[in-house]
Amino acid sequence: MKRRTFLKVTGGSLVALFGTGAAIWSQMPVLPTRPAPDAQAAAGWISHKDGKYILTLPRIEMGQNITTSLKQIACTELGAAWNAVEVKLHNTSMQKVRSTVGSESIQYFAEPLAQACAALRDALTNGKTVRDGERIDPRPVGELKSFQRSAFDRQSPELVHGREIVTGKPLYAADIHRPGLVYGRVLRAPSSSEVTSKPKSWNINAAHVVPGFFGVIEDCGPAIGKATGLGIVASRPGALSLIADALDVEWEIDTHSPQSDIQTLINVDRHLNNGSLPHTVLEGPLQDSDWDINLRVDLSFASHGQIEPRAAVAEWIDGQLKVWAGTQDAFFHRDFLADHFGVPKGDVTVQSCRIGGAFGGKVPCSVEAEAAALARAVQRPVKVQWTREQELTQAYHRPPSSHRVKARLDNGRVSAWDHQQVSSHVIFTPFAIPKWLQSGTDLAVGDPGTARGMETAYQFARSRAQYQLERLSVHTGAWRGLGAGPNMLAAETAMDEAARIAGMDPLDFRLAHISDPRLKTVLERVGSIANWRGSAQRTMGRKRFGRGIACGIYKQVSYVATVADIILDDDGEITITHMWCTHDCGRVFNADQVKAQCEGNLAWSIGMVLCAGLPVKDGRVVAEGFSDSPVPIMSQFPEMTIDLIESSEKPVGAGETALMSGPAAIANAVRSATGIRASRFPLEPKELAL
Amino acid sequence: MSFVLNGEKHSIPAEWADEPLLHFLREHHGLVGAKFGCGRGECGACTVIIDGVAMRSCITSAADVEDSEVRTIEGLADRETLHPVQSAWLEEAVPQCGYCQAGQIMSAVALLEENPAPSDDDITAAMDGNLCRCGTYQRIRKAIQRAAEASA
Ligand code: FES
Ligand code: FES
Repeated sequence: MKRRTFLKVTGGSLVALFGTGAAIWSQMPVLPTRPAPDAQAAAGWISHKDGKYILTLPRIEMGQNITTSLKQIACTELGAAWNAVEVKLHNTSMQKVRSTVGSESIQYFAEPLAQACAALRDALTNGKTVRDGERIDPRPVGELKSFQRSAFDRQSPELVHGREIVTGKPLYAADIHRPGLVYGRVLRAPSSSEVTSKPKSWNINAAHVVPGFFGVIEDCGPAIGKATGLGIVASRPGALSLIADALDVEWEIDTHSPQSDIQTLINVDRHLNNGSLPHTVLEGPLQDSDWDINLRVDLSFASHGQIEPRAAVAEWIDGQLKVWAGTQDAFFHRDFLADHFGVPKGDVTVQSCRIGGAFGGKVPCSVEAEAAALARAVQRPVKVQWTREQELTQAYHRPPSSHRVKARLDNGRVSAWDHQQVSSHVIFTPFAIPKWLQSGTDLAVGDPGTARGMETAYQFARSRAQYQLERLSVHTGAWRGLGAGPNMLAAETAMDEAARIAGMDPLDFRLAHISDPRLKTVLERVGSIANWRGSAQRTMGRKRFGRGIACGIYKQVSYVATVADIILDDDGEITITHMWCTHDCGRVFNADQVKAQCEGNLAWSIGMVLCAGLPVKDGRVVAEGFSDSPVPIMSQFPEMTIDLIESSEKPVGAGETALMSGPAAIANAVRSATGIRASRFPLEPKELAL
Repeated sequence: MSFVLNGEKHSIPAEWADEPLLHFLREHHGLVGAKFGCGRGECGACTVIIDGVAMRSCITSAADVEDSEVRTIEGLADRETLHPVQSAWLEEAVPQCGYCQAGQIMSAVALLEENPAPSDDDITAAMDGNLCRCGTYQRIRKAIQRAAEASA
């Protein structure tokens, strides 16, 4: 969505709140402040010299393997051999591009790239070149070669970077080496970053005797939230923890009382007892009435759990700053760093590196500013990579949410639907907007990220969806799919319950409420590949067997349906044995990698239902590692069958869609196996034990 | 103090002796294939093979490998010829973000050297300590089976 459209749909009040000044917008990384590119802009991504092409990737590569797909489009359009096109990751010396968020890379970048490459091909055929700024007249999409061929009849080329990955070549920010490099860390108080804290005293003498000690730096970059840090630098990374222990920093922590019970704070029923929730997604005229389905669904906090803790290398040369970063938005970082260090933007270059997983979590500028501040202080290049504990305690997380979903049935159809939710922020977070604006957005707009997925895809006679936001002392923000995963888990389990109460098959019941032909198709297809109708409830010995189904539309553009088979043992331990997923994201350029994205989203679905928790105590995260905040492991992984719809519809994203149906398919399978409709996620096996 | 790294003998300088092997490999030797994921032995991103066994280099000190033979992902290929596990990884297009994959590959290599024809359960048992947040497990399993077949 363009900024203009954004303002339009969210109401004029925002214009008044934000003003029209550009300055504030530069501080808002997660807002879509930059327009989608056109062919003209795309001409800057591709260059040609001596029969070789360089494609400067206009996106950040973080595992969606967009590098491969965009290179395929370029090669097809240029008529160039695979090896004739070299792909480079961009730095901030190129024309600004949008943040890599929201599964937009194919949706908004494929066609402009194809147009620019086609124009270059034509120019070269005519013995010309495309000069900077020269007008490119986009041709009808049907004339673009890459939009004509089917991706289904050919194999994917070898992944770009694949060979480097399997041979261990440097690709990620932490792999960068610079002469004279030293290692830094910024220590922060063991408190919520919403509470003001700063270092008070520390034992510098003890630190001095640690081998490898290089220095303590007080001017160590911006606070994270309200937590001001203390920087340390060492000549070897392993010395950093020893120095931290030796310093034994005493912190001054504001006595402001932390939120002790976040679960109660967001309890949806508590809020509903006080009246209706303030933000409206669907405005069905509902009167309180007898509900046939009345379901409470609560989800905990969840960390991103990406395997790469964020990292950066920063180096100052003659007052100019260069930063190698694994960020979803190099330009936002460039602007942030220039602003923080008081240097012109032109003196800061941020080089994007391949990211070891981001999932919405690597947008704000944190580790990059820490590295830059320490590098300036010690006048050496500095590498900072957060510890796993820092990732868990200092980054933002998926907010917990509490849902009440109600439905009324008439003649086997849902006649009224009501989804109420209390959660926290995903887009209008303290990382994205200043404090004074937060109260404004809370009042006027809510948070479209938290609301994503509350708009139902079903044809209900009347439907209402409302939500409320609570500011929490644990920072929350964008997580894969934003609010869509949790909202759809709540809605699709309620829909399943409705089918049961109506005495109908869950697949048929859904079909009866769907008018969108593409949603119908994915649902019918997944039913047929999973042999839905041929299956029945059964037990195998003492093991309980169940299957579940769910479907959804992501961001109104991409379609998915999932079936999950599970077995439970006496202790309530769940084994997911098979998942089938039918997916329609319009035209596909690399079928194998779209499938990989589906597999990834099903993995996240498994995590959401089985393990994604994050312990919080006294208003702050108390997790230290993966054992506290687990991600799925191989033994929890079922066989997966991914079925893509071959389509010539407009191509859109695939990076988040299957998270609309995966979690509920598993939860519904648990219901069918046990008769228990779980209301808290992740599931507790003991609540499902025999 | 010395050790063998990818077939070559190297000394372990005194100042690096207490450092985690992972940092020693990455920052002193410039072998950045093994990754820092947790530093606590929980994720497997740092896996290397020490005397034939897949080990977590983040919780092994440099001094611990004195007189041992350490193999990292950089030592797998024979110049341009990839190790069968590496080839299988490319053929199955396993990596998404790729960050966990060096560790996955080293665990897979150690498994296949010990058990050239692993069952599904053998694969799960050997790989369960290697986390992949992107969810590439199905492809990892297939790649291991493919590599096992290729070497059979
Ligand atoms: S970094 Fe060694 S196990 Fe995670
Ligand atoms: S490929 Fe991203 S963590 Fe495994």
